[in-house]
Amino acid sequence: MVARSQRERALDAAVDVVAEKGYAATTVADLTKEAGISRTTFYEMFPDKEACFLAAYDAAADVLARRVAAAFETEAVWPARARAGLEALLGSLADEPAIARLALVDFGAAGPAAQRRYRAALLRMTPLFDEGRDFAPEGRRLPPNTSRMAIGAVVGLIADEIAAGRTEQLPGLLPEILFATLSPYLGPEAATRGVSEER
Amino acid sequence: MATDIESRRDAILTAMVRVVGRKGYDATSVADVIEEAGTSRTTFYKHFDDKHDCFLASYERMVEQVFDTIVAECDGERPWVSRVRKGLETLIQIFALEPELARTAVVEVAAAGADARKLHWDAVNRFKGYLEAGRELEPGKELPEQISVMAVGAVSGLIFDELVAGRAEQLPELMPDLLFAMLVPYLGPGAAADEMRRAAQAA
Repeated sequence: MVARSQRERALDAAVDVVAEKGYAATTVADLTKEAGISRTTFYEMFPDKEACFLAAYDAAADVLARRVAAAFETEAVWPARARAGLEALLGSLADEPAIARLALVDFGAAGPAAQRRYRAALLRMTPLFDEGRDFAPEGRRLPPNTSRMAIGAVVGLIADEIAAGRTEQLPGLLPEILFATLSPYLGPEAATRGVSEER
Repeated sequence: MATDIESRRDAILTAMVRVVGRKGYDATSVADVIEEAGTSRTTFYKHFDDKHDCFLASYERMVEQVFDTIVAECDGERPWVSRVRKGLETLIQIFALEPELARTAVVEVAAAGADARKLHWDAVNRFKGYLEAGRELEPGKELPEQISVMAVGAVSGLIFDELVAGRAEQLPELMPDLLFAMLVPYLGPGAAADEMRRAAQAA
């Protein structure tokens, strides 16, 4: 129980210190100080700063993915399911700007391993999009990569807002996010109609 | 001789892009860069304060070169769909021929600090601006303001995945999918799938 809470404190510290100082300038000493744990305890849990950061990244991605999946299940049919999931995602990011920045903008500072974590985390959203295939008039002609493209479009919009310092206004971006989600499957006109019906 | 000094600076900038693409930004040292460029430490520090300063200059120059090549290749192309296809093809060919440049441009830039990420962001925005002409295609349609962000986001996500997986040389095989991703927010799935099929046949 105690070991777990120390680990959680270290992970929270990684998010907060990296958000404040940047990854490169963050030291293990910063992390142990912020977490209120000893250097020995830190090294019992993690071989180095990178391992701690990656564990923090995975933990944050897990929380986000679970919230999105839970919201997704509250609705029966796509695109309402997608809207619920995306609404939960935007709300969670807006509530925790430090995590949002780290998860979608600053992750690359920690190198290639963090970049692979980033893509893996994004691809966990695939089910939100894939069900659209069943509702697409041209479903069988859509490329297999369609969900990856839609995820790229959605994340591009979100990262733009975060980089511009508008993380807290993310929930207001839902219509555009919904358009980006629906249009590859339904086309721009039907997507525009779908967005206004969902409002 | 001014041209000689200029060419030595250029050689260092080119070397920086290659070494970072090969070793990663963090693992790259000034020693690696001067070895690749065949120049001296003194020459390096005559032009640049440090590795970071040199990287920013090399990134800016690379973006200019890539963008100039794309504009030269496709400015004359009409209609818009052909221009987008040609532009995308040009970018993909550059990346496939120079995998190290591609990795630096898209993947490693994130490790080089906030100012480097800003340069990457600005470069992406230039491509978005170039795409904006697509709106004129459908004057009556109400498309969201950020539609080019979606198109570029979809394309760069796919490219990023391929580069992280070490498949830069195979990027041209992805051209039909990339074209679909770029066009679908504007044209819808039916028309975008038609263009995708044509690109696959041409390949």
